[in-house]
Amino acid sequence: MIDNEYYLARCRRFLAAQPHMRKLGIRVIQAQQSRVTLVLPVQSQLISEGLDTYLHGGVLTTLVDAASSASTLCALEAFELCPTLDLRIDHMRTPVQSQPLYVAAECYRVTRSVLFTRASVYQEDPSRPMAYGIATFMRPEGGAEDSLFARLIDGDEHATVD
Amino acid sequence: MQQLIELVADAKRSGDYQPLVDLIPYARLLGVQCVCYGEEIIFRLPASGDHIGNPTIPAIHGGVIAAFMELTAQFQLTLQMPQPGLAKIIDFSLDYMRAGLDRDTYAICHISRQGRRVGNCSVLAWQERKSKPIAQARAHFLLESENLQFKAD
Repeated sequence: MIDNEYYLARCRRFLAAQPHMRKLGIRVIQAQQSRVTLVLPVQSQLISEGLDTYLHGGVLTTLVDAASSASTLCALEAFELCPTLDLRIDHMRTPVQSQPLYVAAECYRVTRSVLFTRASVYQEDPSRPMAYGIATFMRPEGGAEDSLFARLIDGDEHATVD
Repeated sequence: MQQLIELVADAKRSGDYQPLVDLIPYARLLGVQCVCYGEEIIFRLPASGDHIGNPTIPAIHGGVIAAFMELTAQFQLTLQMPQPGLAKIIDFSLDYMRAGLDRDTYAICHISRQGRRVGNCSVLAWQERKSKPIAQARAHFLLESENLQFKAD
């Protein structure tokens, strides 16, 4: 039985290993089997001076992609580098720029070859989502294909990337 | 809002769309550029260490590629709207075909139908050659310029 702390640590290392996640300050706030919640904090580099709508153009997509792949880490026993096959996002509301964006993702089905995920993006109230996303990921044949990346995610302290 | 309408009008007049692109913070952060050849606009995502998702390949974060393509579609639709305003995304669906390596990425948007309220479009992204795309996407946008906020919220 893998406990939630283990998933949380794995997701933290996963985000920390990705320069773009560090650039946006995307953090994991909750992780359990098959599920993860990430947050995109309010930050000046994403705030538009003139426009309140539209500051997030594209950012929601990045957030959904990040959470969907993190949820696959919580659904697999060992880390596997699973490339995204497809991603679909429905935008239902415009987020406000004064509040952080949360995304909760779940990997709801694991097969021998494919992983299926769904995600919702919200601000104050999870029952009023800004967007829904679904994605599929391809599992590599024979486990993790990228052994250095796998060691980074599994917390091998000797694994480094310059 | 007024600033936006002016920028769209300016961009249409001068053919220089960069000020409009820079208005979207995430497009500015990613460093999205655009070059206009007549009616055809090619968008460029310059290689950057900040875009990396997999540091060991290294490969661009899938979300960055998706967001770049979404922004490409948004700008293309915005520029082709009969009345000034910002096209608003309804949905976006993306197929990843190859890993995006740590180099410049290009994207072009084709509008398949532009109605009064909704635009349908497809986007292709590539690196070395267009015949080997790294991803393709389809999207729908709301085009009503006065309706920048969804109603009944």
